[in-house]
Amino acid sequence: MIGLIVTLLAPIIGGFVYGFERIIKARMQSRIGPPLLQPFYDFFKLMDKRAVMIHSLHALMGIMYFISEWFALGVLLVGNDLLIAVFFHVIGVLALVIGASSVRSPYSVLGGLRELMHMISYEPLMVLMVIAFYVVTGSFNLTDILHFEGYPILQLPLVFIAFVLTIPMLLQKSPFDIAEAHQELIGGPEIEYSGPFYEALYTGKWIEYLYVFTFIFLFAGSHYLVGAGLVIGVFLFINLLDNATARLDFRRMVKFAWALLIPMAALNVILLAL
Amino acid sequence: MNTLVTLNIVLPWAIALIIFIAKKDIITNSLTILTLPILGVISYLTYMQNLPALIETPKWVDVLMVVYDFGLLGYFFYQGIIKKSFLVTILATIQIAFLTIVMIVIEHSSTPNIYVDNITAMFYIIVAIIGVPIAIFATKYMEYDEKDKHKFVAIVIWFLGVMNFAVSVNNIEWFFALFETTTLASFVMIGFRKDKEATNNAILALWMNQIGGVAILIAILIFIKVNGVYHFTDLLKNPTTVAMAALGFLSLSALVKGAQLPFHKWLLGAMVAPTPVSAILHSATMVKIAPYLILRISPIIKGTLLAKLLIITTGYVFVVAAVIALTQDNFKKILAYSTISLLGLMMLAAAVGTPVAITASIVLIIFHAFAKGFLFVEAGVLEKVFHVKYITDMRRLIEKAPLTLMFIFFGFLNMTFVPFGTFIGKWMMIEEVSNFLQHGSYILLILYVGAGSAFLSILYMKVLGVSVRKAHGISHAQFYPLPMRFNFVSIWYYMWLLSITIFIAPFISDFIVPIVESISSRPAIHADGLSLVMYDSVLYSWQILGALALLLLIHALPYFIKFKIDTVHPYNCGEIFPKHMGTWSFECIAKYEGYFVAFSIALFIMVVVLGGGLL
Repeated sequence: MIGLIVTLLAPIIGGFVYGFERIIKARMQSRIGPPLLQPFYDFFKLMDKRAVMIHSLHALMGIMYFISEWFALGVLLVGNDLLIAVFFHVIGVLALVIGASSVRSPYSVLGGLRELMHMISYEPLMVLMVIAFYVVTGSFNLTDILHFEGYPILQLPLVFIAFVLTIPMLLQKSPFDIAEAHQELIGGPEIEYSGPFYEALYTGKWIEYLYVFTFIFLFAGSHYLVGAGLVIGVFLFINLLDNATARLDFRRMVKFAWALLIPMAALNVILLAL
Repeated sequence: MNTLVTLNIVLPWAIALIIFIAKKDIITNSLTILTLPILGVISYLTYMQNLPALIETPKWVDVLMVVYDFGLLGYFFYQGIIKKSFLVTILATIQIAFLTIVMIVIEHSSTPNIYVDNITAMFYIIVAIIGVPIAIFATKYMEYDEKDKHKFVAIVIWFLGVMNFAVSVNNIEWFFALFETTTLASFVMIGFRKDKEATNNAILALWMNQIGGVAILIAILIFIKVNGVYHFTDLLKNPTTVAMAALGFLSLSALVKGAQLPFHKWLLGAMVAPTPVSAILHSATMVKIAPYLILRISPIIKGTLLAKLLIITTGYVFVVAAVIALTQDNFKKILAYSTISLLGLMMLAAAVGTPVAITASIVLIIFHAFAKGFLFVEAGVLEKVFHVKYITDMRRLIEKAPLTLMFIFFGFLNMTFVPFGTFIGKWMMIEEVSNFLQHGSYILLILYVGAGSAFLSILYMKVLGVSVRKAHGISHAQFYPLPMRFNFVSIWYYMWLLSITIFIAPFISDFIVPIVESISSRPAIHADGLSLVMYDSVLYSWQILGALALLLLIHALPYFIKFKIDTVHPYNCGEIFPKHMGTWSFECIAKYEGYFVAFSIALFIMVVVLGGGLL
């Protein structure tokens, strides 16, 4: 029931998270930052703009990206099966990439291709993480994991670290904001969207925040306070990382994921299984 | 029962013969179209019978089979001489020698030679509803500046008959004969255009597949020596005593037939032939013998070292073939690599051998057959109607060939995404293997499945990305009228895939679970309405329908939805638009291909030597 409510309210909650993040980021850079409700002000402004598009396919894919992300979150929170939810996440990527590739703009196309590199980096790791949860708690079910007595994080420290370092890839944060790459690709897949369609894409990203941090929350099992602490800690860490590091090459990202993070997570699972 | 099975096997041969002799357009076209309902009904009736059934064959068939065997090998030998291929000649000679020894040592067995169980019936259905439409497609395809239409269609239909025969034999010596007949069929089809490249690739396919033949003969010899039996059913009766070495060789022949690395070159070579050849090789026939063979022996090899080595090898192929596919530019080659990759996954699932894994394998076989038949048919349409062969030519396909692109898009979705069959297969595998993780180490397998599916997804998205690129402001797509038969075949596949996907849960629990039960025990899978329940996990109907709706919207809606909004040029930071935009070629991976193949050879040797217990 809570899952359903959270899913339905996801765009609003995500908006607050995003607004909060902008304040945190600003404070880290000794700025005051925008007000908490800035994402919603942006929303009203963007919805009020005259809608223009490149062509229908492109505009439609922006909307589909938003719907797919929302649906994936619903699958995670309401459907309860982690493994299925991981595979649903790919649908959003499909919509984003198809949209990005459909316009005659090198920035957008290159961003779409880099998005694929993101996927190749985080997708196997997310599967491994879900398996790790299964090994510890004996279930793929979100509810079961949330009622798990112990602390999964104590048995899955390496998986936790690997996943935390994957979050920049999932949420387009430095040093792995490679597909968006504001200074070189000017937003990558987003560059050609405007007005309400950009808003759809933008909101899709807020929802992805919730999707990702749900997994972090699970690392504490039934200890919700610890879970909340973990989420806040990781949230601050990711923003610190975002502010403190420079962007890497996409080859480095793939290598980092495949040479370090995935073996690390696999090692953790092997040690547990033995 | 006997009549039905005989009809399934003999009818395609007879129809092929009629078409071959008559050489008339009207006969070829109408007979091919008629074959679809006829074979469909017969295969369905067979499936409804009381299975499994053992069928006695008259003595003269035995003799005929032996004569046929020697004749076939003699033909291979002859081809080796006139095409000046040392490998073909020597392999044919080895096979003749081994076959002679087999004939000397073989003892008469009272076990019937034909064994029809649920898997066989399933293959009959696959051949009927997936294979025959390809023949229908071929009747139109061959009218575009190709020669020998009737001969070609006849071979395609005959091939279907051979496949039906191959999956119903019980006697492994007969199986060898049919195995080599499929080799012959592929040899003839690949070399159909008779130019230099076609001949070379046909020879390549011939000698590579002959290695599989040699392996089967060695396996028979060992079976006779150690167990004294050479029928699948006899072997399955006492699974514990069966000679591992022989099973190792049987697996080797499966790996060769399934075009697993390093024997993948023959399947890639098949693309020089007319496209229906690829369609038929990849979907309903030929390569599907590989997972079929592993499924047959899976109760025996389950849990052995051989099975584990097969898992490592095929899983490796699953990932590596997907990676190599990224570097390819030819559309048919991309499809071929993804077939090799998914065949790896099917065999991997069959080698794991638990009921759920076998279910996964069968789901993959069925869906892959549909999707690959579909994709190759579309590749044929692209080639003949739109003259597109490479992904660089696929630029702006969405404007030139919207309908065909939509079909290709749907085919690709079937190969990776939720809730289509291939996803279901992977999901089952991951869940199943997670259970063993608690007592054993199958972590590699999970990495394989996770990584391979991610690579396949980015492969398809890469290809689609090129094809959907549009100039700004194009408001309507031009629907270029396609020939009736092309449309019929495309829509046939599309509707089947769509309806099976919607009803995937009942389909699995009512159609596939009984098949699995006949091989192994009952898997922990059942349908709850449209929801699929496996162990404690549920794929809810709202998830299946929701994902399907999302994907249908993504792939079809752009043709129907036109926003009434002003259009603008892409912003592009105000820079000039490039004339051409390609896609990544992944050259950085291409240079490692040699290493990938070298490592696969090592794995191959390991399967035979360690798995077969030869050391």
